[in-house]
Amino acid sequence: MSLRDTPRLETIERWMQAVVMHPEGAEGGVQSKPARRLLPQAAARLESVVLPSKSLSAVERLGIYAYMYYARLLEILIAEYPTTQQILGEKAFERACRRFLERNPSKHRTLNRLSVRFPDFLARHLPPGNRSKLAVDVARIERAMEDVFDAPRAEPLTAAEFASISADQWHRVRLRVIPALRLLKLRFPVNAYMNAARGGGKPRMPRPRATFAIVYRLGFQVYRRDQTPEQFKLLYALAAGRTLAEAVRSSVSGRGSNAEKLAAVLGAWFREWAAAGLFCGAGSQVRSC
Amino acid sequence: MHNTPLPNRWNLPDLGLGVGLRSQHFRHITKRWPAMDWFEILSENFIDTEGRPLYFLDQIAERYPIVMHGVCLSVGSTDPVDFEFLDKLAALAKRVRAVWLGDHICWTGVAGLNGHDLYPVPYTEEGLRHMVSRVRIIQDYLGRPLVLENPSTYLTFASSSMPEEEFIARLAVEADCALLLDVNNVYVTCRNHDLDPVAYLDAMPYEHVVQVHLAGHTDNGTHCIDTHDGRVIDEVWKLYARVHEKTGGRATLLEWDANVPKFSVLQQEVGKAARFRNGVKAARRVAA
Repeated sequence: MSLRDTPRLETIERWMQAVVMHPEGAEGGVQSKPARRLLPQAAARLESVVLPSKSLSAVERLGIYAYMYYARLLEILIAEYPTTQQILGEKAFERACRRFLERNPSKHRTLNRLSVRFPDFLARHLPPGNRSKLAVDVARIERAMEDVFDAPRAEPLTAAEFASISADQWHRVRLRVIPALRLLKLRFPVNAYMNAARGGGKPRMPRPRATFAIVYRLGFQVYRRDQTPEQFKLLYALAAGRTLAEAVRSSVSGRGSNAEKLAAVLGAWFREWAAAGLFCGAGSQVRSC
Repeated sequence: MHNTPLPNRWNLPDLGLGVGLRSQHFRHITKRWPAMDWFEILSENFIDTEGRPLYFLDQIAERYPIVMHGVCLSVGSTDPVDFEFLDKLAALAKRVRAVWLGDHICWTGVAGLNGHDLYPVPYTEEGLRHMVSRVRIIQDYLGRPLVLENPSTYLTFASSSMPEEEFIARLAVEADCALLLDVNNVYVTCRNHDLDPVAYLDAMPYEHVVQVHLAGHTDNGTHCIDTHDGRVIDEVWKLYARVHEKTGGRATLLEWDANVPKFSVLQQEVGKAARFRNGVKAARRVAA
């Protein structure tokens, strides 16, 4: 090969990437438009770019990289979405993953964020029906579990710190939620379904029913738990930076005017949330932990 | 054979025998604090996360020397150098007091994408100039030598004008970087390209070699894949023995990433390297 015919390094890299990331594998990749535009000679005679070995052709050698690209990323998605896979079935899940990876190739150096858009992708591309809706809901929970696993650490407020907020401060205080908390409004009782599925069972398809879930990390353990609609609204308002008074008004206004009863209910909720370590700060300003 | 170790350019220490730190062993290690000279971490597993892996790593780094080994630095890529990523590597290195840090002689993506694989560059003068320049920039920015590993490769570009071992040797000398000589990769690459692994090893500039990798691979008959899923085969041990003859002792690490066995199996497997490391105190500690 003369120096004049030698493809530039950048061209070779772009070409090889186009080939190995092609959904039809190396053979389809070499003949694909982007690859032909970069190195037309490879489409006509691949051996002018990649040499065969004694036992493998040039396309088989490229095929090793093409196979590994999808195999490696599929392995990640299968590990992150086991219950979603169980609902869709192995083949349908793999088809969805491959289509997702075609349209959302990794742009990050770490793999933590590879599937950030996967639940939304499923929502747009799965066929209509309750099974698909359940799969999307489960995928959202499974993605949230990944998010909170990696989320920044924050020291939860202790019971003593809660107690130190004086009564006259409570109406204007803003409670800051930990970065490792996600709130999800779902169309199915997903937590119960996932408990059964991840416990080794084959749960029946549940009936649609709105549920409200939180996913959070306490220490280094990830938890998911259902909330009542009022609890969810209150937590949501606090996470959005509303004062405690505003958040309570927006979430439990339908409970009537028995202040004592309401205080008891709120007290129980906050004890539960404090034990779960959901708050990491309190103050009058909106700040993150 | 060297009676005393051949010094490396940076006087980086022979850390003894280590294994790759994998999440399956976090609990065992932090509960038992087993005999092991050092651990190597996969840098990217501890970047962009503040969860459980980092919690265990902090504890482990208190008790064992840590070396950082990455898979996404992409020193051969024609994309711009990612200084934000270098900052993250530097921060992690500071946090765990990494003895050294490195990656592979390869590229992992271009045009802003990442294939999360170790792709070979054509071994050309242009490729060499490009990589030398990138390695120098990265080393200057980090203020320390990069320790770069020969990858397992599965194809040869027709435009390559020099053998892989010459490319690597010249890269090490011209960029003044350190080398991590993966003897399993040498075996796999030579099998895949019908090359002589002994000639490959003999071409290495050993004053640049600061670390050695050992691993298992999958032999498909027509080609080998670097799968890190089993024990080190005899042929690779023979290559390791040759490297030891050349160097007199380099920090040696066993990689085992798939079908990960109990920690004791890793100890036993890496302990076999002690046979070749006569008189090295650290090796006895792991083999005991």
